[in-house]
Amino acid sequence: MEALDISIFRLSLLYLFLLLPMVILYRFKLRLTKDVMISVSRMTGQLILVGFYLKYLFLWNSLWLNIVWLVAMTLIANYNIIGKAGLAYRRFFWSSLLSVSAGTFTLVAIFLFVLIRPTPFYDTQYLIPLTGMLLGNCLSGNIIALERFYTSIKQNREEFIAYLMLGATLQEAIAPYLRQAISACVTPIIATMMTIGIVSLPGMMTGQILGGSFPLVAIKYQIMIVLGIFASLVLSATGNILLSLPSAFNSYNLLRDDVFCKNKR
Amino acid sequence: MIIFQNVSLQGDNKLILENISFAVNPGDKIALSGRSGSGKSSIIKLIIGALIPTGGRILYNHAPITAANIADIRSAIAYIPQEPLLGAASVRESLLLPFSFKVHQKNRPTESRLVNVLEALQLPAAIMDQHSSQVSGGEKQRLAIARALLLNKKIFLADEITSALDTQSKEAVINCLMTPGHTVISVSHDPDWIARCNRVITVEHGTIRKEK
Repeated sequence: MEALDISIFRLSLLYLFLLLPMVILYRFKLRLTKDVMISVSRMTGQLILVGFYLKYLFLWNSLWLNIVWLVAMTLIANYNIIGKAGLAYRRFFWSSLLSVSAGTFTLVAIFLFVLIRPTPFYDTQYLIPLTGMLLGNCLSGNIIALERFYTSIKQNREEFIAYLMLGATLQEAIAPYLRQAISACVTPIIATMMTIGIVSLPGMMTGQILGGSFPLVAIKYQIMIVLGIFASLVLSATGNILLSLPSAFNSYNLLRDDVFCKNKR
Repeated sequence: MIIFQNVSLQGDNKLILENISFAVNPGDKIALSGRSGSGKSSIIKLIIGALIPTGGRILYNHAPITAANIADIRSAIAYIPQEPLLGAASVRESLLLPFSFKVHQKNRPTESRLVNVLEALQLPAAIMDQHSSQVSGGEKQRLAIARALLLNKKIFLADEITSALDTQSKEAVINCLMTPGHTVISVSHDPDWIARCNRVITVEHGTIRKEK
């Protein structure tokens, strides 16, 4: 059983329907019209392109091509994490790349070598979508964690110094801010796990069911991916903050002035 | 004990301190006076490494203050800002906060020591059971002093710490801090406080105008 195809004409009708939310945004002067138009255009263009790319990735099923694709995905995700968190690339690039890669690929390895065990292990059908889902969630979670952590230390500079004056080491002084940041980044996924299957039918499961999989198989994949997202998020966000400390703080344990990108200082 | 040698501090667009030189001797009670924005608080923040001088140097016990010894200096000095951090949900947890850090873990005070220090600062023992958000500004300042006393600190950097205190509480704070064994460097406009200091240094436009 395969999912019913949607004709291009019928799909384009949905774009017409977008006029309604756009009118609402305009009516309440949200000034998001331009952002929505750009993001909808980018989403459409990117998905059309990825459709073509994936067609050939699936067709060739090559280890090296998959690696190139994964490297590109990871670099773009890393670039977006640092930029959207308002931080300076030169201070955070390597620590963030290392944490996001470690957090994501540890889980991908568990999926492929322990749980699914496809042959070959780099089978594009599994490797690329699963990595994409983990990276996508890591991206939003790491943005929240880094942004929250560094902004709150900057805004509470006096309080942070007070911790140091009470005898706290750098690791002890950052602990309250680390807790807040990690909590903010995992709260959405915890809320999702609370309501999944009741309020929402998740995308991966819906896609698999539409694609003809048995619901029980789809559920197992969904459980795997949700647990994977949670674990990779905690690993990558905690690692991201901890690995960035030597670069973000000076030898007096004070936050450097140049950790934020210029327009955010 | 603490010596400023031609210390300058450059801000984003202006010179905050220019060629400041003075020495603090053990047991000194110094009041830094001057208009707001004159650089008094910056002098205090330089000592604890919250600001780093752009010129000159600061010596602590004959050694320049650097990244290598800043942790030791911070643990020897109590910094009490105008609005101190309590940093925990309850007052008791706030008082014991520094003793959760590795460096002070072995010196956790006894209950009777806690009560004695609070009483010396005119605070009832029952305040320990209150939520930190329920205490007033003046109580917060005294709790920060209590914490410094519990840590057996001998050098106190105080930024307008009597600003929210009534006469009786102020007298208690003065009696606790202005003892011969303590060295106090303070920013204050309070005549009662200044009267108890042996030195008054007037700071104007980032330089020392006079000392008496």
